[in-house]
Amino acid sequence: MVPVKYNIRSLVVRKTTTAAAGLGLALVVFVFASVMMLGNGIRKTMGRAASPNVAVILRKGSDAELSSGISNESLNLVKAAAGQVSASGKGEVVGEVVVVILLDKIGTDGMSNVTVRGVPDGALGFRSTAKVIAGRAPKPGAADEVMVGNGIRGRFKGLEIGESFELKKNRSVKVVGVFSDDGSSNESEVWGDLNAVQSAFGRDGYVSSARVKLDSPGKIDALKAQIESDRQLGLIVMRESVFFEKQSEMTATFMTALGVLIAVFFSLGAMIGAMITMHAQVASRQREIGTLRALGFSKLSILTSFLLESLFLALVGGAIGAGASLAMSFVKITLLNASSWSEIVFTFDPTPAIIVRSMILAGVMGVIGGFLPALRAARVSPVEAMRA
Amino acid sequence: MSDSDVKEPEATTEDGDAKGDARDNESPAPKGDAPGEGAKADAAKADAAKDSAKSDAPPKSGPYRPTPGKPLIEMSNVTKTFHKGKEPLTVLDGLTLTIAEGAFEALMGPSGSGKSTLLNLIAGLDRPTSGTARVAGHNLEKMSDGELAKFRAQNIGFIFQAYNLLPVLTAVENVELPLLLTKVPSGERRKRAETALRVVGLSDRMGHYPRQLSGGQEQRVAIARAIVNDPTILVCDEPTGDLDRKSADDILALLTKLNQDFKKTILMVTHDPSAAERATTTRHLNKGRLD
Ligand SMILES: Nc1ncnc2c1ncn2[C@@H]1O[C@H](COP(=O)(O)OP(=O)(O)OP(=O)(O)O)[C@@H](O)[C@H]1O
Ligand SMILES: [Mg+2]
Repeated sequence: MVPVKYNIRSLVVRKTTTAAAGLGLALVVFVFASVMMLGNGIRKTMGRAASPNVAVILRKGSDAELSSGISNESLNLVKAAAGQVSASGKGEVVGEVVVVILLDKIGTDGMSNVTVRGVPDGALGFRSTAKVIAGRAPKPGAADEVMVGNGIRGRFKGLEIGESFELKKNRSVKVVGVFSDDGSSNESEVWGDLNAVQSAFGRDGYVSSARVKLDSPGKIDALKAQIESDRQLGLIVMRESVFFEKQSEMTATFMTALGVLIAVFFSLGAMIGAMITMHAQVASRQREIGTLRALGFSKLSILTSFLLESLFLALVGGAIGAGASLAMSFVKITLLNASSWSEIVFTFDPTPAIIVRSMILAGVMGVIGGFLPALRAARVSPVEAMRA
Repeated sequence: MSDSDVKEPEATTEDGDAKGDARDNESPAPKGDAPGEGAKADAAKADAAKDSAKSDAPPKSGPYRPTPGKPLIEMSNVTKTFHKGKEPLTVLDGLTLTIAEGAFEALMGPSGSGKSTLLNLIAGLDRPTSGTARVAGHNLEKMSDGELAKFRAQNIGFIFQAYNLLPVLTAVENVELPLLLTKVPSGERRKRAETALRVVGLSDRMGHYPRQLSGGQEQRVAIARAIVNDPTILVCDEPTGDLDRKSADDILALLTKLNQDFKKTILMVTHDPSAAERATTTRHLNKGRLD
């Protein structure tokens, strides 16, 4: 084996070309890791609010609350079923209405969708992770009071505490508090009074979804069996975690696909960069290669040596890119979520698996990019190299 | 992995021997009281040489073991033709040459007469177009590239006009290179490389990079690299061609010492008549033939 320090020092000596190729590789790994982290962040954000013993009930055929509707009579049947299934005789049930409104963004000219959720009294208590972090919760039954999620606070006009905005024309509401919910997508919503939202949007007598909290996750199956067996009712029951997965599926899948696409296309460029660098290395080290061959190093050991050199270059570049991508975890990004058509704030969420995948990508780029130059190095004829 | 390690069944015994070696070297002054630094180094070197000679003797490859009465190098009816341009160029034409073990021979001749080409054939860097090249018990004309690499690693020490040290490695790291093709363990490698540098008088330059050395010093590092594996033959292509008179004389004195004290067979191409005088025999190559 040609010692690896020979390769490392040779790279260090040729600082400029090495740095150029390394940066190209770093950039690709950075973008790849960031997109993967975002995809992961989307899944996490959407799923974060999920509670294991909560079931979400929607109208059959709907995946999202926005397109679902459940009448008050049906809601009462759900309540009855929940009572039967739960041991204590009373499963907790909330029926909520979800609509989308357009609000002016702060800082730009545009407008964007904001999800408004009409919640009954006790909605805060139903979600154990949700809590008021500034101001106060709206008074029970107060039609003109709302609270905003921490994620969109200050990003739209009228969404600061004490400010007002129009839910609908001539239906002004006042922001009295800010709530948080463990960084979940709920934090990108405005929560108001159920009746007020229902009447403002002509949805009286209907809710969008029902949530049932049972004593244990295992009871959800029983509830599902009971409610879904009633064809007339026309409702579907799913675990809250499954519900959230469905909400994020499209966006997260898109992000992952984007990550893979970037990995494929951008890495072509980076591999060509690495290839050019390694070709230059081989060309300027003909005599050294010839010397090694004369000393008795085999073609295979020369091939291995230059492949390792390229791999090393790629891994250092990859480590820089992956390291830089970790800084993205301090960045928040706003995306239009496909299932609610409103903006949700996401974070980049790094995992060890993403870093490992990024480094594997770097390594693969190094080996593929370095292969032809390494082959050329292995083919250097010692006789010719010495004559040059 | 290079194809010149593994494969040999004697791997374990070799390792054992190598450890024995290390112990030998640790015990001070193995051959009585060594009077000076150089002599001690020489003794250690001779020891290492003796040990490695007995430690591995695989049938097909491995260090040369002389057959009494047989010459070390036998080139017979060797032709070398290059096909580079339009016309094929025959550089060596039916050349026959025998060199005995322990010889110090100079090879002279005009530029382009094929001296380097002949040297490359003897060193197993290239194969003849026709004829046989039997060197240190191997028929080089029949060997594959991989086998030739292995042959070079075990039997040949190269000394080039341009030194050809690897610029990013220190003197001692350069000298260690050929040992990476053997089973010598890493601690022992460093010791042997240092011993070789001591033999060429550079014990105070071990950690220096080639660019920090003079030409004469670089060539001495190259010689240390050539002898560290204890090869049978030293092949030198104009070893003093880039050096001033004084450095050249030092190098020639060193080669003489390697020939006389270490019994290395040396083949040296040179344009310098005073360098050729150091050799025991001088041959002249002219238009592809020896006269
Ligand atoms: N690999 C090669 N391909 C083509 N032609 C070659 C090759 N090697 C040597 N030659 C040619 O063969 C001839 C002899 O070359 P060689 O290098 O052996 O000469 P030399 O005697 O060593 O000369 P010098 O004293 O200049 O070093 C030259 O004409 C050279 O151009
Ligand atoms: Mg020559």
